[in-house]
Amino acid sequence: MIEVSHLEKSYRDLKAVQDVSFKVEKGEILGFLGPNGAGKTTTMRMITGVLPPSSGSAKVAGFDVFEHPMEVKRRIGYLPETPPLYTDMTVRAYLGFVAEIKGVKRKQRAGEVDRVAQQTNSDKFIQRVIGNLSKGQRQRVGLAQALLGDPEVLILDEPTVGLDPAQIIEVRELIKSLAGKHTIVLSTHILPEVVATCQRVLIISQGRVVADDTLQGLQKAHAGALTADGHPGPAPSLEEIFLKLTSA
Amino acid sequence: MRNAIAIAKKELNIYFATPIAYVMFTLFVVIGSYFFLRLLGAYEQASLMYMRFNQPDIMNRLNFQDAIFRNLFGNLGVILIFIIPFLTMRLIAEEKRQKTIELLYTTPVTPGEIVWGKYLACLAILVCALALTLTYPLLVQFVAKDSNGVEWRSVLLGYLGLFLMGGAFMAIGLFISSLTESQVVAALITFVVLLMTWIIGWTAQEAEGWVRDFVSYLASVSHLDSFSKGTIEPKDIVYFLSIIVLGLFATNRAVEAHRWS
Repeated sequence: MIEVSHLEKSYRDLKAVQDVSFKVEKGEILGFLGPNGAGKTTTMRMITGVLPPSSGSAKVAGFDVFEHPMEVKRRIGYLPETPPLYTDMTVRAYLGFVAEIKGVKRKQRAGEVDRVAQQTNSDKFIQRVIGNLSKGQRQRVGLAQALLGDPEVLILDEPTVGLDPAQIIEVRELIKSLAGKHTIVLSTHILPEVVATCQRVLIISQGRVVADDTLQGLQKAHAGALTADGHPGPAPSLEEIFLKLTSA
Repeated sequence: MRNAIAIAKKELNIYFATPIAYVMFTLFVVIGSYFFLRLLGAYEQASLMYMRFNQPDIMNRLNFQDAIFRNLFGNLGVILIFIIPFLTMRLIAEEKRQKTIELLYTTPVTPGEIVWGKYLACLAILVCALALTLTYPLLVQFVAKDSNGVEWRSVLLGYLGLFLMGGAFMAIGLFISSLTESQVVAALITFVVLLMTWIIGWTAQEAEGWVRDFVSYLASVSHLDSFSKGTIEPKDIVYFLSIIVLGLFATNRAVEAHRWS
């Protein structure tokens, strides 16, 4: 569904992303990990067509982001790092506007707005002005915006930032329930979240892919030395693997 | 085009959800009314004076168009120079600062539709502001039923001129807003550019020959004046339309280029 090959982005002499290649199959949830400044957001912005890559290509549903941007944008829901909210609008007006530019038909628009508001539990404050909402509420409106129009691919950049523990669990359940029908790339710093939701893990560090495997595969690859009686050592946690790979 | 209208509706929603539109209308009408009342007073005094000295020839030549509306439109045009920068400053600069432009970049909207949508929204505000000032000719028409009345053709042409000039100013403002993330910087630069189009006309009076023609062609307010005299000249329409086309085209390029930076 998503095919990224040899993607590179450099700003003058700073190489933000170098030779990043990966694939995400339809219906899969990919956990996208990496320390701050590793190039996660830059990669996501290139897949969604916000940033043009310096070289390499990204394909979504078979369409090249650069050559057929409109086809790609019709299929993508994107929640950027900072939710793109117009703080002077009400939640309902905002979601209505996003539905309109995403090409949701006039008759279905109100229903679609209600649907995503309920899914993200934003329906309680749907009449309020976005500027008056709390950080967690804004984050949920941002997520609702990404879900509008039921896109095949969801690119979520730290969707649970600013949420309280109960809301984090809700959003986690929501993302899990979207799997299968949607293809999801989920970037986060919260490693248990990846363990709970993602089938596959992609770790990047300093602009390069350092791991791309299932969680079990990673644990097997990084298992400790055999114990004295010949059994494999205890499986390392994702934290340990993450620290090991990104500290180099 | 459908997306452009969606964006225009969104911009209008924000203009009217915040005080921007109301403050702009109030200022425009308050300052406009002040000028109108002064011109009306001057007209009254002039007609009283001509009556007292019994000069029917001059009395006949005194008309609302030349004495009131031509000057009034000139004044309204100058007010636009002061108001439009504050109207256009937020259009693109704010989207960049708040990162909401990423939403427009990741939905199936073209840069052209973004530019059109934003431009249509500020044109709508301009039309509303101008419509509010229709009170003045209507008032004069109402009071002066029995005399010659208002020359509606010239008045409406004056409004066409104001609309074109406002449209040209907004295209400039929109372009400058697309170059920066700071609304204050956008407003200041727009204001200076618009002010230059007005005061450059003063230089023309001192110059001679082709320099004079050239400089006075550049000045915006002189193009407005021929509309309020009740004439349509191709050179004025070309002047305003070319600024609009150039401004929108440059904005379109700037929005596209923003991604590459």
